[in-house]
Amino acid sequence: MKGRKKLFQKITKVRRHEHHPVLHHAHRKFGISRKTLFYMKEYGPRSHVAHVIVKESIKILIMASIISSIGGIGMEAISAKLVTIIPLLILLPALNDMVGDFGCIVSSKFTNMLYLGKVGTKWWRSRHLHTLFFVILSTSFITSVFIGVAASVISYWSGFALTLDIFLKVLTIAVLANIILVAVIFCVSIIGGLGIYGKNEDPNNFLIPITTSFADLLNLAIFAILVGMFF
Amino acid sequence: MTFWKDFDEILTAEMASITGGLVAGTVLAFVVNKIELIPAIFILLPGFLEMRGNISGSLSARMSSALFLGAAKPKVRKNRILRGNVAAAILLAVVVSTALGFVAFFANMVFFHVLDYRIIGVALIAGVLSNLIEIPLTVFTTFWLFRHGHDPNNIMGPYVTTTGDISSILSIFLAVLIV
Repeated sequence: MKGRKKLFQKITKVRRHEHHPVLHHAHRKFGISRKTLFYMKEYGPRSHVAHVIVKESIKILIMASIISSIGGIGMEAISAKLVTIIPLLILLPALNDMVGDFGCIVSSKFTNMLYLGKVGTKWWRSRHLHTLFFVILSTSFITSVFIGVAASVISYWSGFALTLDIFLKVLTIAVLANIILVAVIFCVSIIGGLGIYGKNEDPNNFLIPITTSFADLLNLAIFAILVGMFF
Repeated sequence: MTFWKDFDEILTAEMASITGGLVAGTVLAFVVNKIELIPAIFILLPGFLEMRGNISGSLSARMSSALFLGAAKPKVRKNRILRGNVAAAILLAVVVSTALGFVAFFANMVFFHVLDYRIIGVALIAGVLSNLIEIPLTVFTTFWLFRHGHDPNNIMGPYVTTTGDISSILSIFLAVLIV
């Protein structure tokens, strides 16, 4: 017990950026999980919690937010149309959430397939990948129809003069934007995942932020283009 | 991988997520007449929504890890980890929202040739306001879920995205009224 306490004190004194052997020693000797030991090192009594968090996350947060803002430039360009065609405005946050969610799902599932050997260099032959593609495509089709209809109904209830023409255009924008984005998400995940995996890195650490940022940016751009085309 | 099992799970989760998005969109539709008065607001909006979800999501995930590892207890007082996390979330929101305000300002100047400093003020005030709503909501819900035997990691992701979207739009609306 005394040795254990001494070892814990030693771990909390380890400098954060070090991969100190004492962590492996504690893991082997006492069977404490590596994650627990890592947490002790990161946020132990000697560490300044807020400083650690801010230092590690500020760059990625600013980068992710700026990438989304670039997509916002497309939205600003069509802002006059957005504020007059209310269903488009209601549709937008839901569409954005959906694209982010699909980016996460495809990236993490594709990474799992790589690790389990279900996808190789000839990825286009993988039965599992085909199934995933059809699952995502059919889900995105149903959900995009749902948000298109729901946005139109909500806008109608809130007093917007909805016509059949506007309803069909909103529905087409929702469905088209989604199908294009699902195809893009798959391309980015496959190319990125194979590239990262080929370099013996863990795709989990890179693929989700890459795919979701790219999809978010492209979502707003495609949305702006489609709105410009249809209205 | 079976088609129907995955289809069922993904569709259910997506329906919950997009319903929250539709609520946020409806709130946006009701306040758009006020917020569109500030130029570049639509440049700011996507980045701001992204920031809110990222900060609250990470806060909840870190607190969940601390709770499961026993490094923190689900209580507000005398909680060093919680104090540090809340301080970091506030600081991050202030810094990132100010950065977003500057990005929106410069993008508006370069692409639309409009010079309006109010967007920086709107971003900063909205960042602070959304923190006041979102941080207590995230912390108390994480603690409540943990105390009731649920894994906050399974629930807090979609929860903070939805509440974050709504609170962000309301904060931007209030910030526009203030500015």
